[in-house]
Amino acid sequence: MSLPFRGRVREGVLLVSMVHVPVTGTKLPPIALSTNCPSCGVGLVPEELREQAYVCDCGHHFRMHGDAWIALLADEGSWRERWADVRPHDLLDWKVPKPYQQTIDQARQEGLNEAVRTGTATLAGRPVWLGVFDFRFVGGTLSIVAGERLARGFEQAAASHTPYVLVTASGGARMQEGVLALMQLAKVNAALGRLHAARVPYFSVLTDPTFGGVSASLALLGDVNLAEPGAAIGFTGARVIKQATYADLPPGFQSAEFQLECGQVDLVVPRVELRERLARLLDLYTG
Amino acid sequence: MPANFWSRTLGLSWEFGTMRPRERDTLSVWQVVELARHPDRPYSLDYIKRMAPDFVELHGDRISHDDPALVAGLGTWHGRTTVFFGHQKGRTLAERVRRNWGMMHPEGYRKALRIARQAVKFGFPIVSLVDTPGAFPGAAAEERGIAAAIAGAIMEWFETPVPIVAAVIGEGGSGGALGMAVADRVLMLENSTYSVASPEAAASIVWRDNARKVEAADQLQLTSRDLLAMGVVEEVVPEPEGGAHVDYEGTAVALENALWRHLQPLLTMPVDELLQHRYERFRYIDSLIAAHPDFGPKVEPKV
Repeated sequence: MSLPFRGRVREGVLLVSMVHVPVTGTKLPPIALSTNCPSCGVGLVPEELREQAYVCDCGHHFRMHGDAWIALLADEGSWRERWADVRPHDLLDWKVPKPYQQTIDQARQEGLNEAVRTGTATLAGRPVWLGVFDFRFVGGTLSIVAGERLARGFEQAAASHTPYVLVTASGGARMQEGVLALMQLAKVNAALGRLHAARVPYFSVLTDPTFGGVSASLALLGDVNLAEPGAAIGFTGARVIKQATYADLPPGFQSAEFQLECGQVDLVVPRVELRERLARLLDLYTG
Repeated sequence: MPANFWSRTLGLSWEFGTMRPRERDTLSVWQVVELARHPDRPYSLDYIKRMAPDFVELHGDRISHDDPALVAGLGTWHGRTTVFFGHQKGRTLAERVRRNWGMMHPEGYRKALRIARQAVKFGFPIVSLVDTPGAFPGAAAEERGIAAAIAGAIMEWFETPVPIVAAVIGEGGSGGALGMAVADRVLMLENSTYSVASPEAAASIVWRDNARKVEAADQLQLTSRDLLAMGVVEEVVPEPEGGAHVDYEGTAVALENALWRHLQPLLTMPVDELLQHRYERFRYIDSLIAAHPDFGPKVEPKV
């Protein structure tokens, strides 16, 4: 299901690359992994996997969380997070099956800070605005705080003419914030429209999974849409499509490669090539 | 949750729109959902044909298909040519199948944008009536890029330099509804709903069981009064006693008057101001919530 590697990693540098860009900005933080690769079944050595950006030898890309994405893309010491103090609240008094306030508090205790984190950084020396989704926080869902951070980031990137790089991993809009979560689609797209109008490059990196309100707003509107091999990308999830239409879905439905065929993404890029590819695109679009 | 949660929290008076606290207070949220889905409820064409008797429907996205779930066309309204959009559900089973229960495919959004560009070309205002359970959740829609179609539509409405007024007349479900409801003013009929996902979908996401739809509906705050209090819609248009399906004429007149009242000041507004207002309407749509002390400054100082 995944594309084979086109390059090999030696001491953190991709050898096939034209430009020598390190595979990661800094050493990636450890992430929780299963004992075996779900794709090829090989036993995993966490430290080894971490060296190759959490990509198994078979090409399976493990889901990375927000911190890991920031470490992967931002140069060492360049990450300046913005608006981390903007916090979510239980607005609808959501009680069942689990009180929303409790969900928020728990996530905060685990050290998670909302589903979207945004800030400035340099990517291989090129200044960028960076927005990353974190799937661990209520499924990476778009909420008022997430929308606010994204919209402010787009506005500032437009004002300072800094390219924006977004990494998505989301189930859609957050149910627990009701229609106000839906309004975030319009809010971020309004700000994104201004980013485009200011002629600032915007690159969207789609990772597993990207669905619902996120793909129906900012995720697929990049000047270049890049996707990770094997990532599930779509609007309605396969489970819901089966329930609603009783249709048999072909294997690989909604995979990154499927979306490439359907014309929704420009490039399917293995994770170890991503940084080099983004650096090259940044040069092309700002050259 | 208490029915007047929003009013209490935000210090708003329940009657601040045109709503009257009447028998609505005795209707459960689920009853409102069922009224919004009532099979006899007037659909977009019932309103459009009463508002503009000379309505001409246009078809096709000029790329591949026509989407019968969305009616689009022109008509004379208050002496001026106006572009009308509306989701159409269909009365008979055959028509429902043809119109796909008002669930749009990507072609629908592309058709709307094509005709919106025409509206810009000729300077026609746009009226959009929303009545859809959501965009079509099917494999064909996915293959043809439903997500990108909605995303592109939402972004393009912000750059459409003619006045747009929208009204939710039945169900306003998810991104499928929002794709046709980015407007300078958004109104709602009294017994309509507008939510992040249909109660069934929300239940299947939160509980993984869509039989919990009634509980989900109770929590989603999807009735017109909730949305008015949240500041998501400008006005709630009262329906006749019993619901819109009891009196098509009366509901159509009330809706038409409200839409015209909101459109009128927009017609003379300079284009820059119009687009800036539309931007700010959605950019700060959660400003009531953003006033929370932890939320941080509403507007960042200019860099």
